[in-house]
Amino acid sequence: MQAALLWAALVFYAFGIAMTVPSVIRRRPTLSPSTLAAVGFGLLLHASALALAGAQIRRLPLTDVCSALSFFSFLATLAFFLVYLRYRMAALGLFMLPLVFVLTMISALHPERPLANPAFRGGWLLIHIGSSILGYTAFFLTFVAALMYLFQERELKSRRPRALYYRLPSLEVCDELYSRSLLLGLPFLSLGILTGFVSASRMWKGPWELDPKILASLVTWLIYLVLFSTRLSGAYRGRRSAYLAIFGFVAILATFLGISLWSGQHGYVPELGRLP
Amino acid sequence: MNLLLVGMNHRTAPVEVRERLNIPESRLAAAVSDLVRREGILEGLILSTCNRVEFIVSAAEGLDAEACLRQFLAEYYQRDFRTYANYLYWYHEQEAIKHLFRVTASLDSMLVGEPQILGQMKRAYAIAHESGALGGLLNELVTQAFAVARKVRRETAIGTAAVSVSYAAVELAKKIFGNLTGKTIFVIGAGKMSELAAKHLLHSGASAIFVSNRTYDRAVELAQTFHGTAIRFEQLPDYVGKADIIISSTGAPHFVVQKHQVEKMLAARKNRPMFFIDIAVPRDIDPAVNELDNAFLYDIDDLEQVVDANKKQREREAVYAEEIVQQEVQKMVRRLAARELGPTIVALEQRLDRIREGEMERYRSRLGSLTPEQREALDALTRGIVNKILHGPITELKSGAGRPEHGMLVQLIRKMFGIGE
Repeated sequence: MQAALLWAALVFYAFGIAMTVPSVIRRRPTLSPSTLAAVGFGLLLHASALALAGAQIRRLPLTDVCSALSFFSFLATLAFFLVYLRYRMAALGLFMLPLVFVLTMISALHPERPLANPAFRGGWLLIHIGSSILGYTAFFLTFVAALMYLFQERELKSRRPRALYYRLPSLEVCDELYSRSLLLGLPFLSLGILTGFVSASRMWKGPWELDPKILASLVTWLIYLVLFSTRLSGAYRGRRSAYLAIFGFVAILATFLGISLWSGQHGYVPELGRLP
Repeated sequence: MNLLLVGMNHRTAPVEVRERLNIPESRLAAAVSDLVRREGILEGLILSTCNRVEFIVSAAEGLDAEACLRQFLAEYYQRDFRTYANYLYWYHEQEAIKHLFRVTASLDSMLVGEPQILGQMKRAYAIAHESGALGGLLNELVTQAFAVARKVRRETAIGTAAVSVSYAAVELAKKIFGNLTGKTIFVIGAGKMSELAAKHLLHSGASAIFVSNRTYDRAVELAQTFHGTAIRFEQLPDYVGKADIIISSTGAPHFVVQKHQVEKMLAARKNRPMFFIDIAVPRDIDPAVNELDNAFLYDIDDLEQVVDANKKQREREAVYAEEIVQQEVQKMVRRLAARELGPTIVALEQRLDRIREGEMERYRSRLGSLTPEQREALDALTRGIVNKILHGPITELKSGAGRPEHGMLVQLIRKMFGIGE
């Protein structure tokens, strides 16, 4: 049932994306109401799919990599909606929706194995996963804002306005979105890492600190810490900060998806992970 | 519907001709009252601006509105009509509606997308309304023209991109800083151009302003007009960093602001962006400043480039705007035609019925006395003939209601069957 709902949500997301394209090509300042309706309805379907999955296992649907991915893409789409309602720029849809669509599709294509791993029933672990995902969502916004900033900054530096100049928001708006999402993301990610350490120490013995995924997450967290402090102090602002934010998000994707498949103890994929 | 629009604009007539036909606002009410007093002119509106003079009238059916208006113009202007007849354009019916919509949406203006025409049209509408010159049709058309203008501005970007250098500077500042409230301006060199740019920026929300000039007194003078602060020229490097937008137009032969100075300023400002506008020739600000992260430098050529790009953008948007206007014109024409449809059909039926009854009356004596059944049969016979004749035209009228040529069809049928207003 939830698979069907998820696919239905994907269809509506696809409609939404398809309808964004003419808006941006024709330089309409805002997205059409039908685009918003399509994405909104898709969001509802997506939420229902997640709610059903959650109801089945009687906790948040975060217990396997596909559910977590689905949850992440849901939050990202929700974030798109909230940010769009605040800033009302069509370009936002073009930057955010395709990536979200791809992530949702990946999660729809892989079967869910909700409680395949008994370890994923504990409370701490779910807080760890949930908090990390919230952090990732915020940093996804940071990534999008950084991209838009870079494109617009390049236009302004070139002094010859071309297509993107008219369609992207001001540098200030990009920077505002950037710093606010950064401010939101770091506490969540920190909480995620902390609760992760707590769960790990309760669940595993041995040098789990050296597990690749855990190390990678720490590196990611450090990147964002640097990003946050340099932006706050103004030491890095503008282009340099934006490049770092993009690198940071790539690190997140690598940590979340890539290493999940290779990690020893931290492997999300039960067959590969050797959990006690 | 008997709608006529006549006028001239900056494209059809030179200013010497336009100024002679211009009607100042003080005389507009009298002119439009005079217009509708004419025999057969039901409603009227006059628009007179520095770039155009236009008369739009709704006349009684069957009236030669063009002749009537020609006479009005000759009498009003007290001038030989032929001296300006060549400069006039005449639009009828649907074309008149289209022209009205286009003008109000600023698509016929010298600078497409300019906002003044809407206000001017509103004034003209108000004056015509007060003078009692407006009736149902023009009222509806002009109100709809306002709605279409709003729609065009909302759904296209024809009015947004700046097409003058000083407005382009403001627009760029907004692209960097978002909104300008609380931003500080620094004017280096008190010249006319920088004064103008500063004025626009202050008008758009910038709050504080510093002024510096080689002669301190001149700086004080300019600072006072803007309620700003004057800075001694020697202290320039210490204060420029406090500003977000810097406009420079001194006559200095060397660079007044250097790259290494800006580097220090940016660091002191925690890298909050700075926007430099260099309108001086030779340039005041080292072009290498643009290489710095968070500093943006535009010289006079760059601003002209932005204006050119914006003009092209406006032209592109104008294409979309024309599409919107065209759609709205079609909608309006269909709506008006549908309204004429009902009364036309009724009038048609009544006309033929009167003919039928008239003929029956005429031949009553020749028919002699008839039995009730015979009279009934005769009645049914004539009614049947009339209905069959009417069936064709009425079906055509009803089915054609969606098509643009429907208005003409209605007029034609009214003419053919002699149905008056």
